[in-house]
Amino acid sequence: MSASVAVAGVGTSHFGRQPERDLVALAWDAVREAFDDAGVEAVDAVWVGTVFAPAGVAQRVLRAMGITGVPIITVENACASGTTAFVEAHEAVRTGRYGRVLALGLEQMSTAFSGAITPETTDPEGRAGLAMPAMYAMSAARYLHSGAATAEQLAAVSVKNHAHAVHNPRAQYSGRYTVVEVLASRMIADPLTLLQCCPTSDGAAAAVLTAATGGAGEVVVRSAALRSGAPWNHRSPHVWGHDVVADTARDALTAAGLDAATDVDVVEVHDAFTIGEIVTTEALGLVPPGDGGKAAAGGVTALGGAHPVNPSGGLLSRGHPLGATGLAQLAEISWQLRGRCGARQVDGARLGLVETMGGGVSVLDGNSCVVTVLEAR
Amino acid sequence: MSSPTGGDPRPEIHRTAQGDWVVVGRRCRACAEPVAYAWPRCPACAAAVEAAHFGPRGTVWSSTVVRIAVPGHTPPYSLAYVDLDDGPRVLAHVAGDEPAPIGRPAWLVGTSDAGDLQVEVDR
Ligand SMILES: [Zn+2]
Repeated sequence: MSASVAVAGVGTSHFGRQPERDLVALAWDAVREAFDDAGVEAVDAVWVGTVFAPAGVAQRVLRAMGITGVPIITVENACASGTTAFVEAHEAVRTGRYGRVLALGLEQMSTAFSGAITPETTDPEGRAGLAMPAMYAMSAARYLHSGAATAEQLAAVSVKNHAHAVHNPRAQYSGRYTVVEVLASRMIADPLTLLQCCPTSDGAAAAVLTAATGGAGEVVVRSAALRSGAPWNHRSPHVWGHDVVADTARDALTAAGLDAATDVDVVEVHDAFTIGEIVTTEALGLVPPGDGGKAAAGGVTALGGAHPVNPSGGLLSRGHPLGATGLAQLAEISWQLRGRCGARQVDGARLGLVETMGGGVSVLDGNSCVVTVLEAR
Repeated sequence: MSSPTGGDPRPEIHRTAQGDWVVVGRRCRACAEPVAYAWPRCPACAAAVEAAHFGPRGTVWSSTVVRIAVPGHTPPYSLAYVDLDDGPRVLAHVAGDEPAPIGRPAWLVGTSDAGDLQVEVDR
């Protein structure tokens, strides 16, 4: 028994530093909007993705909005926690286990950390001080060293995504920056400057999944793939995270019956740092190997370009509340496929793709990666 | 915020009779994968492993300088991924506050005051 699964409704909170708003308030913004969008008032089960929220947070948050008694399952998969919740919710509907499922992602980073995420001291590299910006900086430095990208191309990703976010009222940051301004911002971990790093964000995002009805304009899930990273070490031909994205993308594209990522009209990817978007666009096959930087600098991945990436502003500008991020990406793609994105709309978008990956467990090529393909019927 | 629990997860190092610093790790008996940690099985193929020493020499794969506050470390500090010869990729600290040149030889010189693997790099 398997059914075609629809994303019946999506919703999000505002994204930004909002320590005065608790997780109930943030989650309610997202769930109320998703329920209204889907035209439902209850669900049969809930999957919640979060990374740093305290134990029991899912039940605490959901009981405040009257969602009790049904199965509630919390998942943690680093930055892909929200999309992991989505993958599980999708599978539950697809197999007929539940009829109507809520996937909810939430995170309040501003109250958990005073600055960047504190590296995990039970992990060898975390204990040695490899903060997340430093981990991405290692990839960026390697790209610069090998000539696969220039510093200006790295900065171009930030310029592009901040410009996209000008048209996203939910985004944490937006603005018209220049490459020079991005490069001149404070150095965080060489060669990554402040404007190349995602901000500390609070937020929630949600999606309601049901069996597809076949109605015109309905957004359906063509595929949803999840992997965890294989060992990443001296033998790996690519920088950290490339291969898990490439492998997961291949799973998702094959399951969706697509030949290549270039067949999709709009993409949201995990740009926690500028180098992340460059590596990911190459790993997805959206651009040829080594062309990720050129594509960003040349407008290929900008709104109006051949392969628009992160029209929402991405993690760099919309913000990155870890557990909420994957579902925020899904919300953006759902809106894009329904033509609801105003000045940041990709004209005629019918096929969209979401990629989320993350994790800083040493020796692994990412804790987890999700790639999902959505289609407007 | 997490605080250290259990044992120290960083690679164990040892000084040989010749005075060289080496990482005390494991090598897979099936696929020869080198691992910098005393793990029970090979992370690449799950086969049995045996004790092995790696280093002291290797090559800088990539590097950065961390310029933000991280608990237990004082910025700026210089980090490098070093591929030990016929051994694993290890994360090590480098003296100074300049990025270590990629592709250059490096060698283990013990641990830093904070207990982190330390390398010197041939600039
Ligand atoms: Zn092995």
